[in-house]
Amino acid sequence: MGKYTLKRIVTALFTLLAILLVLFILMHLMPGSPFNDEKLNADQREALYVKYGLDQPVVVQFIKYVGNMLKGDLGVSYNISKNTPISQLIRTRLPISIQIGGYAVLLGAVAGLLLGLIAALKHNTIWDSLATVISVIGVSVPSYVFALALSYNFGFKLGWFPLLFSPNDIFKSSVLPSISLSMFTMASIARFTRSEMLEVLGSDYMLLAESKGISGAALIFRHALRNALIPIITVLAPLIVDLMTGSLVVEKIFAIPGVGSLLVNAIQSNDYNVVIALSFIYSAMYILIMLVVDILYGVIDPRIRLAKKGD
Amino acid sequence: MKENMTAVQNAVSDYIPVETDFKWKNNADEINIDENFAAQSFWKDVILRFFRKISAVVGLFLIIIITVFAIIGPDMNEFTYSTQYLDQKNFAPRIASLERFGIFDGTESMKTTTGSAQVNYYEQKGLDDLYYWFGSDNFGRDIWTRVWSGARVSLIIAVAAALIDMVIGMSYGLISGYFGGKTDMVMQRFLEIANGIPRLVIVTLLLLVLEPGMLTIIFALMLTEWVGMSRIARAEMLKLKEQEFVLASRTLGAGSFFIIFKEVLPNIIGPIITQVMFSIPTAIFTEAFLSFVGLGIPVPQCSLGSLISEGFNSFTTHPYQIIPPIVVMALLMLSFNLVADGLREALDPKLKEM
Repeated sequence: MGKYTLKRIVTALFTLLAILLVLFILMHLMPGSPFNDEKLNADQREALYVKYGLDQPVVVQFIKYVGNMLKGDLGVSYNISKNTPISQLIRTRLPISIQIGGYAVLLGAVAGLLLGLIAALKHNTIWDSLATVISVIGVSVPSYVFALALSYNFGFKLGWFPLLFSPNDIFKSSVLPSISLSMFTMASIARFTRSEMLEVLGSDYMLLAESKGISGAALIFRHALRNALIPIITVLAPLIVDLMTGSLVVEKIFAIPGVGSLLVNAIQSNDYNVVIALSFIYSAMYILIMLVVDILYGVIDPRIRLAKKGD
Repeated sequence: MKENMTAVQNAVSDYIPVETDFKWKNNADEINIDENFAAQSFWKDVILRFFRKISAVVGLFLIIIITVFAIIGPDMNEFTYSTQYLDQKNFAPRIASLERFGIFDGTESMKTTTGSAQVNYYEQKGLDDLYYWFGSDNFGRDIWTRVWSGARVSLIIAVAAALIDMVIGMSYGLISGYFGGKTDMVMQRFLEIANGIPRLVIVTLLLLVLEPGMLTIIFALMLTEWVGMSRIARAEMLKLKEQEFVLASRTLGAGSFFIIFKEVLPNIIGPIITQVMFSIPTAIFTEAFLSFVGLGIPVPQCSLGSLISEGFNSFTTHPYQIIPPIVVMALLMLSFNLVADGLREALDPKLKEM
């Protein structure tokens, strides 16, 4: 187990380093320079280069860059708000994104689990088909289609929820974005829960538990769901990562001042420094989630731990 | 006992057969004949199972219809996707045959300061012979033409990206799995690192550096989707490479390249096609996402994503502008997923139900 964990951590670190290298190369390839201002003369440009350390050899620049990134110093914004440290830009926005993402994961996981449970317990009935239809639609329709439909119907026509994000009423204005983000998670979880539950329900140990006289909720929650949950946890991790992609567009639709809309703004105003910093943060989060899940997976299920040892 | 038998014999001997007793019973309906699967080829069997699944057939049907419209749709009326008639902005949908039923007659309700009012630009401007089937957009361009040429662009991008992914991912996985050992180790570590970078980051950064356009988007999608494909190809290769037919081929003097692509590849084509079908909707979605962020196809060309992003700007005032591209895209993604699901089950009936 220890060896496996160590191996995963080393791989994750190498991945992070590779990403930093790619980002660094890209930064040098970017068309144009932030100092391409006609009003600047050669001396001033030179001074700016020295100020930002662009006059040093590339290797030195890279080592410095890696050090700064890992310290949390992500550089400054060139365009969106000049000379503001990017870490400061992110600090106010990250909590909002995480909050909405968190609601979405929670909602998606709970609703998906329930939907999958109903489908499995009422296998081959109308409930099962209904749950299947909902999950197929949820998986294949992109989140911003839901976002647009919800904001048109409940935000604009009925006026139940604010059409755009308002900082005065954070809870109410995060309802619609969270629902539209959660649809994909919900649908995938429902599909997995259903197939896992069907497998578990048909297993011998369920028959044994039933013949021991256990029935009703105890049978389903303590014996069936617990075994079905393990694979579900593993699919949750990539889903959380997918939420990040979805959140970009959804944040733009609802004008949420989060990290996603910052990235969209940065892309549109060619603020490369911000794009690269945010890419680094996204990648780091992604790697961290994958790492945690890989390790957790072994902790939750002793069978996997043993199998890995045998490797 | 004995009495009974004699009674039966008596009854039978008394019976005189009539002509109807010697006619065919005509009971074809009652006889159950087992369907014979034994002599069927694998692919015939797959097709049979695929078409038995209604959702998959519906998906296939929708894909065909949308593809046909993507091919002929833009040429079905006199408009082109880029011609602008600035005096014909934001016309509501109007269809000749449905006009008299009061729907699609070019009327839309506008919210004004005094409440909502019914507006018909066609009547206001006296353009009685003009029909925008899906309405016209902010620049006076026909949405019907734009939606179908957008669907065309999106489909080309998605299918091209999925096919290139297939070639790259498949070769990578097959080679990695076949040679094993050190080669496999190095290739898998590289893959792990490539997989560690979020797709979104690669695509966004690449499009910032390169000129935007159809080829760039295909290239960006190509770089991100091959990982899943190579995993499947490698797993299948590991399963197959120990089998006798590979050994037989090697004994006969076949080279590695021949064994990989001529012997093993035809045996794993099923899961690979399924994976291609699954990666097409992902590609459509990613392209739409890029357009929405502003990194998509350059104007005046359009894709479904860029149409949605354009329609979004006025979707509370003119909702008809955003509905057609959204519906087409949602249907397209849905039907590719349905077909992929059906294909997966048809190829592997023992697979656990999803």
